[in-house]
Amino acid sequence: MKTLKYIGCKLLRALYAIGRFFKKLWMHKQGRIGLIIFAFLAILAIFAPLIAPYDPYDVTQRAAKGSTPSWEHLLGTSITTGQDIFSMLIYGTRSSLSIGLITGLVIAVLGSLLGVAAGYLGGWVDTVIMRIVDVLLVIPTLPLVIVMTNVLGTSYVVIVIVFAAFGWTGLARVVRSQVMLIKNANYVKAAEIAGASRWYIMWRHILPAVSNLLIMSTALTSAGIMVAEAGLSFLGLGNPTAISWGKMLADAQSSGAMLFGHWWSILAPGVGIFLSVYSFMRIGLALEEILNPRMRKGSNMLKVFKHLNNTYLEEVFASMDDVSKMKGEYQAPSPVLEEAGPSDIAAEMAAPEGAAVEEVAAAGVAGAQAAAAGAFVPAAQIAAAEQAAAEAPFAEARAEDAAAEVNAEKGGER
Amino acid sequence: MKASYVIKRILLTLFIFFVVVTLCFFIPRIGVDDPASRYYPAQTAGMTDAEYEAIKELVRQQYGLDGSTFQQYITYLGNLFTGDLGTSYTKNEPVIDLIAERLPWTLVLSVSNLLISLVIGVIIGTMAAWRRGRWQDRALLNASTFTTALPAFFIALILSFYLGFEWEIFPAYTDQNMVAGFDWSWEAISKVAYNASLPVFAMAIGSIVSYGQATRNSVIAVSEDDFILTAKAKGLSNNKVIYGHTLRNALLPIVTQFGMNVSTLIGGAVVIEQIFNWNGMGTLFLTANSNNDYPLMMGIMIFMSAFALVANLLTDFVYCLLDPRVTLGGR
Repeated sequence: MKTLKYIGCKLLRALYAIGRFFKKLWMHKQGRIGLIIFAFLAILAIFAPLIAPYDPYDVTQRAAKGSTPSWEHLLGTSITTGQDIFSMLIYGTRSSLSIGLITGLVIAVLGSLLGVAAGYLGGWVDTVIMRIVDVLLVIPTLPLVIVMTNVLGTSYVVIVIVFAAFGWTGLARVVRSQVMLIKNANYVKAAEIAGASRWYIMWRHILPAVSNLLIMSTALTSAGIMVAEAGLSFLGLGNPTAISWGKMLADAQSSGAMLFGHWWSILAPGVGIFLSVYSFMRIGLALEEILNPRMRKGSNMLKVFKHLNNTYLEEVFASMDDVSKMKGEYQAPSPVLEEAGPSDIAAEMAAPEGAAVEEVAAAGVAGAQAAAAGAFVPAAQIAAAEQAAAEAPFAEARAEDAAAEVNAEKGGER
Repeated sequence: MKASYVIKRILLTLFIFFVVVTLCFFIPRIGVDDPASRYYPAQTAGMTDAEYEAIKELVRQQYGLDGSTFQQYITYLGNLFTGDLGTSYTKNEPVIDLIAERLPWTLVLSVSNLLISLVIGVIIGTMAAWRRGRWQDRALLNASTFTTALPAFFIALILSFYLGFEWEIFPAYTDQNMVAGFDWSWEAISKVAYNASLPVFAMAIGSIVSYGQATRNSVIAVSEDDFILTAKAKGLSNNKVIYGHTLRNALLPIVTQFGMNVSTLIGGAVVIEQIFNWNGMGTLFLTANSNNDYPLMMGIMIFMSAFALVANLLTDFVYCLLDPRVTLGGR
């Protein structure tokens, strides 16, 4: 009974948090636009069979083929097969939204896990993950995705997996640089000293600290994935059995909609793509402004408006790096340089902390001495003190290292 | 820029290239025991098992697929070292020749797109920054909303529909005689420019706006600096302040974006080339894909990756030559 109450309490809390989240989004003007469009598209996707006037998979309507817009067929019918374009448009919402959202979530999970691991654990884990990122950033994404769908097939699952497998790199890089700042914060240091395991710290302290970034980037990645999915199905490499907007465009082009002047069969899927991508972009930008109030209005537009258009996922995040460069903090893609930025801050943050750790260590030594003298000290406290004593030299050394690095850097610049 | 840093960076680039090549070697081998069966996936009707085996054996010998996977890998690496990317299944020509044939045509599109969008984008961005908050600035912002949410291939389709089919101003499909009869004469060059106008236009709309936005934000960031105030206080003319002082310093981030775009020069126009039937790397790749021509596909991937790697390397070096505040590996 008690556990049930506990779970109920947690659930209510989560619901409350989600509700508050949506309320904040609703109060934001841009976010409201995005939410309204998204809700509209989601309703279309869920109730597609009820809303669509015809069966879009019905390719046997030879009598109706190539008809112009009329009350019977709102957007006409396709030239070769006579499918109702309005119904296809509504059904196309399904594949676009589902692939965009699911892949966005998978990328959020993958990118955050790998980014947190690289940033917090450091060492060889970091090196391996960052080398993988380097490799994936160099291979052109669209050709790679095309080859993978050629080898593995073009089902939904494969498309989601392929997009996720090559789309996590940008997010992982952003998360990693964020984590490298957070891991020097006092509360993380305190948890380390208290003897918390690395998994616990990553799960309870690091991950919540980057969650804002994750929520925002999921919306933006989903937008990018939708564009990429439309491109893939436009090339005829998407799921062949599903109706998608990219495929509708390809069909219109190949069946001569251009020659017959059927502008509606080209414009309709394009409006669909635009609305879905636009709503996710709006939500992402609004979230960024809500979650990060320091964000100035001009600079966040830049992040998204670069490239999302004619390129694919990772460039959204690459352009995020650019923004930090524009503010004067140079972080080049190369590993040597990347560490130059955070290490300054690391040194700054570590310096006073080193002193604090020293104090704790001194207290720890005192505690241990007291225990040795037979005074009453709780065992846990002794253990913690010992841990602190063991940790202290490391922290000191780290602070010294960082300070030395900064000095060397300053010297080098002179 | 220290020599040790340069060497380290080059070694890293080589290592990444090695990994890319390894990936490209193993991707066609996913899910099949025998790479020859990628070429002949199944027996055609009326073919006996023995005949099928014989054909596969022939394929193996012809395309160097005999021996263990490790042996094939070593041969592949060795061939690559001499610039041999393998032989295309369908065209029966060396992959590197096919790439060399198509590369200039892709570069025509992407380089002109890059230059046009850089020049126009920087001008528009500077104007928007100087008239911050006025209609020019807002127009740029609204334009970027639209071009970001609309895929480039959709813009291309709309352009080809109206400019190509309805009003017949530009050719909607590339004239294939353009490629065959190209002889550097004035007519041939103007023909290429005429045929390339729509694809370049379609690609440039998005990138002009993105360069414009980047320039605008960078110029605004720089124009809040003290030395701009000093320049204004000295009584310099507006043009001198903008072009002599602000823009010079604001262009550094643009160099990074430019470098990023250079690395996608030959891999970024696949869909646009397909729409306009342009005779470039993208259409070569898509044809190879529909024919299951793995050596050709992998060769193109390796070539594109190598191009991107070299471009990234050069961008890094150029950036640190331009910006004295960045000392590469200076510690």
